[in-house]
Amino acid sequence: MGDNIGKVLDREGFKYNFTASASGTSAQDGVIKEQDRLLPIANVGRIMKQILPPNAKISKEAKETMQESVSEFISFVTGEASDKCHKEKRKTVNGDDICWALATLGFDDYSEPLKRYLYKYREMEGERANQNKGSNGYENNIANI
Amino acid sequence: MVMAEEEESGVSIQLEFPKGRVKKIMALDKDVKRVSSEALFLVSRSTELFLQFLAEKSAQVAIEKKRKTVNLEHIREAVKRHQPTRDFLLDELPPPSQPTKPDRPTQPAGRPKLDPPPRGTRRIDLFFRKPELDDPAQAQPPENPAQAQPPENPDQDQAQSPVPVDES
Repeated sequence: MGDNIGKVLDREGFKYNFTASASGTSAQDGVIKEQDRLLPIANVGRIMKQILPPNAKISKEAKETMQESVSEFISFVTGEASDKCHKEKRKTVNGDDICWALATLGFDDYSEPLKRYLYKYREMEGERANQNKGSNGYENNIANI
Repeated sequence: MVMAEEEESGVSIQLEFPKGRVKKIMALDKDVKRVSSEALFLVSRSTELFLQFLAEKSAQVAIEKKRKTVNLEHIREAVKRHQPTRDFLLDELPPPSQPTKPDRPTQPAGRPKLDPPPRGTRRIDLFFRKPELDDPAQAQPPENPAQAQPPENPDQDQAQSPVPVDES
């Protein structure tokens, strides 16, 4: 089994490429797999169902279009935020850049709910950090004793 | 979907989309070097909001057009109605004239298209229809049953109908 690592196995028409990068893009032709550039259709369908009236249905074509649309939205917002970082000579896109990009692109009505989510997110992250510190400190105390 | 700590505040930080997939889509832009966890969270959440918004508007269009199924045309109409969405998305939608998947056969694979039958061939369901009379006047019953005249010779009716013969 160990001998096969790094080789392409061709068995009954199936190809197992162990050398492909983790991002899902093939190293040779740079083609991006469909599933890597789109969000899962099940998640898209579930969110749509939550919004639509109970008796409403969604065509497969509509789900696929929505799937494409949300990926386009992500690229659109990310591109705008990335341009801002590039101009300001920064390498990391942060939360403020995303908020700025959304406002610039006309999605400023998202800013209020996003601020609430971000506040809650920071709160939760802070709690996690404190828990990690607390557990480490406790272990250190035991070690010192 | 709401976690225990968030029930009182009504704000859930649990995301509907997988973070890894969102990050991959963001990383398709070659200029993006690094993304903070906050930025990733906000992009995921704003994408959910956008999807909810577009689904809601598409449903409104479907209701206006008295349709129960939301389809591509409803999404296109919803996109047209919102300026910021129209700016980046309208050109990305499949054009209305041609189907989105032209390589798929329009007819089900199981049923091949049959040639028309030769001239003079009658369909079998014609056999089961009620026979239509040539004269349309004969087909209509008299409007008033009182006006229907009895036959001149009452015995003539009996003569026409065969009488069962008692063989015993």
